[in-house]
Amino acid sequence: MKARALATAALFCGTVLAAQTIQNPTLRRAQQAFDNLDYRQTLTLGRAALRERLTGFERARAYELLGFTYSGMDSILKAVDAFKQVVLLEPERTLDANRTSPKALSAFQVALTQVLVVRQLVVDSVTFVGGQGVVPIRYTVTQPARVVTRVVSGSTTLRIDSTVATGQVNIRWPARLPNGDPVPAGNYTVVVEAAVGQNSFSTSQPIRVAHGIVDTVAHLTSLPGYTYLPETEIPPKSWRPMGLALVYTGVALAGTSALSNGDLGSASLREGGAIGAGIVLAGFIMTLKKPAPQPARGNILYNQLLREQISRRNTEIAQENTRRRQQVALTVAPLARAGGGR
Amino acid sequence: MKSGRFGGWAVCALGVFLTAQPLNRLFAQHVAVGPQVVFGDYREVSSALHYRGGGIAAKATLEWKKFSADVVLSKLKYKPTDTQNGTTEFDASEVNVLLRYYITGPVSAEVGFMNRKADPEFEAQSVGAITAGAQMAYVLGPGVRMALHGGLMFGAKYSGGGTTSGLGALSLGLGLSADALHGRVRVTADYGFQRFSRKTDDGSGALPAPIQQSLGRVGFAIAF
Repeated sequence: MKARALATAALFCGTVLAAQTIQNPTLRRAQQAFDNLDYRQTLTLGRAALRERLTGFERARAYELLGFTYSGMDSILKAVDAFKQVVLLEPERTLDANRTSPKALSAFQVALTQVLVVRQLVVDSVTFVGGQGVVPIRYTVTQPARVVTRVVSGSTTLRIDSTVATGQVNIRWPARLPNGDPVPAGNYTVVVEAAVGQNSFSTSQPIRVAHGIVDTVAHLTSLPGYTYLPETEIPPKSWRPMGLALVYTGVALAGTSALSNGDLGSASLREGGAIGAGIVLAGFIMTLKKPAPQPARGNILYNQLLREQISRRNTEIAQENTRRRQQVALTVAPLARAGGGR
Repeated sequence: MKSGRFGGWAVCALGVFLTAQPLNRLFAQHVAVGPQVVFGDYREVSSALHYRGGGIAAKATLEWKKFSADVVLSKLKYKPTDTQNGTTEFDASEVNVLLRYYITGPVSAEVGFMNRKADPEFEAQSVGAITAGAQMAYVLGPGVRMALHGGLMFGAKYSGGGTTSGLGALSLGLGLSADALHGRVRVTADYGFQRFSRKTDDGSGALPAPIQQSLGRVGFAIAF
């Protein structure tokens, strides 16, 4: 079981080491010995390598080898000491819980709690309108400490947070100057300083702040989901014109006949009949003809309401655009880090 | 008997009144003027005095807000249907003026006057009266309107004398107008029926001497 865990750790180590090259021959031999599960040789060669001139990366690898080896040999205190050096040298170092033995993980976690470092400082990329958004900043501090977060650019220093914290801390920076204006465009550095007693640690993350214009909102020509309705509608074909023409003509002719004086002979229906025939013909034609479109009152009111709604919304959009043209869009993006913390 | 009848001066005065508006208001009016062909039937006293004839007429229509007015001038030559009874032809010149006010739905109220003059004067009765009645109008289709109107004629005066009771003089009419050429021209057709239950009294008692006329008019009008 122990051998399998160590082999896993060795495999992990190998993977990590593959990313960067170890130049020191003694450290290489120590790595070789660790890969062969020769712990005593690993310890000997690892300590010897630490006495030699190593790069920061190689020194961290040497301590890490010692930490894994001590963990494998159940020398937890020594493993913790070795891992403390690893954390101090590379604060961002983490171990893969799926590929590291529980003992080594445990020792690494204990080591983390015994040194003061600020790790995993992350500034998220974000774009927002100045004054209406925040820049999320988060970091992890390994011991309870007074942590001060500042944003520095040249001679400008903005203190954005000061708190006593441990574990993960989340900060929301509005990217504004003390007078409320958005911070000028340029490169800044987010500096997190932690201090407890005589111990202190600081880390930083460079960021770039860019200014842009705020997008304006396009005016509306229609409301989504609402369309204009036809303001006229063709009524269904009806025999009403023909019927009414017959009724009007009938009334006129019947009235003529009824009102005629009997002493003057039979009423003359020639004139009324001729004009009435014309009216009946006109009624018949109008009945056959496609009815004229009639105003659709409901649709007209609906369209009027829709137009008023769009007009009102466009007025609001115009006001909003006027306001937006006076605003600035801030884009905050983290830059590549130059080095770790100290 | 010229006194008591409505002459041409009255017609002119009404026409001037209806059109005497500031120029800018004329554009809010609808005016149509045009000629018509007239054919008619005229009877008087008994079935023996029966005339038929034809002629020309001019009709003007003015619409303004709820008001509208019709002015019709017509001239017909009536010929007796039976020449054996010694009657001769005569000319009938008629003026009809109707002022209308829209009330509600299809209904409008109308008042006006009519004056018909016979020439030779003693060949037929000249008559004048004030008319009052109502009109029902209906739009048959786009630009096509028909109207039925009826009313009483009050205060009828006759050149040969005689009287008419309050409900003794009646008029009935039917009209059609159809827009053409985008409303610039209107085809018009009108029918008018008049009956006067005239009574005369030569000292031997009241004798009926009715007058009855049917007119048909067909023409067109220019609208502007």
